[in-house]
Amino acid sequence: MVRRVAGPTLLLAALLVAPLHGREVEAPARGDATVNSLGMRMVLVPAGSFRMGSPPGEPLRQDEEVPHRVTLTRAFRIASTEVTQRQWLALMPWNRSQHKGDDLPVTSVSWKDAREFCVRLSETEGAPYRLATEAEWEYACHAGATEPVAAAERPAVAWYADNSEGATHPVGLKEANSWGLFDMLGNVAEWTLDAYGPYPRAEEDKDPTGPAVGNSKVVRGGAWRSFVPAVRCAARVGTPQSYPLHHVGLRVVQEVR
Amino acid sequence: MPDENDTPRDPRLPEESTTSRRTFLATAAAIGGPLLVTPRVARGSEVSSRLTLGFIGCGGRGTWIADLFQKHGGYQITAAADYFQDRVDEFGAKFGVPAERRHTGLQGYRQLLESDVDAVVIESPPWFHPGQASDAVEAGKHVYLAKPVAVDVPGCRTVEESGRRATEAQKCFLVDFQTRTDPLYQEAVKRAQYGDIGRIVCGEATYICGPTWGTQAKWLEDKPDDPEMRLRAWGLDRALSGDVITEQNIHALDVASWVLDAAPLHAVGTGGQKARSAGSCWDHFSLSFTFPQDVLVTFCSKQLGDGWDDICCRMYGTEGTLDTHYFADVSIRGRLPYRGGKLTSLFKDGAVRNIATFHDSITRGDWSNTTVAPSVRSNLTTILGRTAAWRRAAVTWEEMMSANEELQVDLAGLRS
Repeated sequence: MVRRVAGPTLLLAALLVAPLHGREVEAPARGDATVNSLGMRMVLVPAGSFRMGSPPGEPLRQDEEVPHRVTLTRAFRIASTEVTQRQWLALMPWNRSQHKGDDLPVTSVSWKDAREFCVRLSETEGAPYRLATEAEWEYACHAGATEPVAAAERPAVAWYADNSEGATHPVGLKEANSWGLFDMLGNVAEWTLDAYGPYPRAEEDKDPTGPAVGNSKVVRGGAWRSFVPAVRCAARVGTPQSYPLHHVGLRVVQEVR
Repeated sequence: MPDENDTPRDPRLPEESTTSRRTFLATAAAIGGPLLVTPRVARGSEVSSRLTLGFIGCGGRGTWIADLFQKHGGYQITAAADYFQDRVDEFGAKFGVPAERRHTGLQGYRQLLESDVDAVVIESPPWFHPGQASDAVEAGKHVYLAKPVAVDVPGCRTVEESGRRATEAQKCFLVDFQTRTDPLYQEAVKRAQYGDIGRIVCGEATYICGPTWGTQAKWLEDKPDDPEMRLRAWGLDRALSGDVITEQNIHALDVASWVLDAAPLHAVGTGGQKARSAGSCWDHFSLSFTFPQDVLVTFCSKQLGDGWDDICCRMYGTEGTLDTHYFADVSIRGRLPYRGGKLTSLFKDGAVRNIATFHDSITRGDWSNTTVAPSVRSNLTTILGRTAAWRRAAVTWEEMMSANEELQVDLAGLRS
């Protein structure tokens, strides 16, 4: 069951060219979202290109964040918030989150648990849901920006070690990014679809999906207990897929056909 | 062998011989002024085959790292400066620096800065770093600076400002810390910062080694009133070196501030000089630092006795422990472990990586100079601890910064 907030024809026609300063891609039109039966607001992210990784000299960057041009040839929809415990329990029989609350993000789910949730959500909605690829995630996190979130802005957009008081917080309380996505940085880190490995050496890549195999999956975004270097769109870490962790949850993506 | 001051001494190795002691070029930072030079642009196509280098400080560490610069292949050492003639001559003979490009005395480095070198490598005693680095930036040189960057708060501020001015002038300014270049350290710290050890609650930083500065102590005991000998034995002088906590122990505290990505709020502790009579530096410290989020980090160091040697930083979280050792293993134990690996030659490997990064940054035109800010922060962290220990009282970061205390060095009796 999907409730469309704005019609696709109108939305595509209304795609806005974002302000030129610090931005490089077209942004989805404001309000361009659908709401599914679990109340997830699914924001359309258009196809486009961006620089994945971080350039040398960017503060707090890791060497592995090799900058390279990535093109995503297909639009997709991404949930505006992390999956809450209420949404999780609508489809799954258990909730192991350390901090309990309906509107708190679910945590302590393994990568396989997260995928199972997506399978069940797909069955319920009759539409293909999954985790974001690492590239999709970073593309959505930047939301068209070419510069990292400034230190002064970080507390306004993210819950992390400096301001979380040692706990998760209800989703959507901080400011959204310019595409309307909340908590991309902080609150809980998020499983992505990709196995963890070094970026390809090629300077350009198209619809990357990571290494073919690998038991460690990429986790993104930083969490309530993360320090600033982890709370960046380009920051990445590999985590064994079988580990349910108190600081890792998920956000879903819906494929657009 | 590297000089024992700018590279952590591997406690498993015997103390260095007399010939490996670094002497230095010295000048008073306070009397530095603008230098009339025409900097040579060293970027892109204007870089010939190699960058020309001038060395400021030609003792043990300077000579050791100069060899690494030479082996890189992208540098040519063309000038040298040191307070002592014997040091600069020995260095010049080894690296082919002609006599007319060897400079001595407190002001010798100024003549070097007036030459056409592209970059300078500063390996002098820490007290001189801020003034020399500032003058080098003013002269339009790229700067490669040994740690610690300074011995006091004003010096740290000067270096911070020099880094900014270098960026504005499109020059590279790199501070040579080894741990931050190491892939094992980087991965382990990244995981801890991400949350893999849970909420970080407390930690410990230790720099434990046996007696150091034995040769310098003998020099000092032989000629305690000789100004030049006091300078040769600078490692035992708390103002010239910054004391052991700043000059050497900084490696352990740097990892703590790196992991927590923060400066401490306050420190309390003490220390003393019980096992070594020569000089003014203490031979042991014991402190407690409080970082943001009430993360407590205990610190202990010694330069005495036998039986246990280590440069360690551990961070304890609600779900695991980050365990790092400069000369041994780097790992995470706990719910989400990281096997990491064993380090065997970080002091050399880290310098080699920094030398390569310095060259790459210059040739690519990367003037972001990202090593400066964290180096200043960890340097100030050691100064906070030292201040608290010397006062035997609690000292806050704000108090330290407001006091802006300068360590004074008497240069009377030294050649200009």
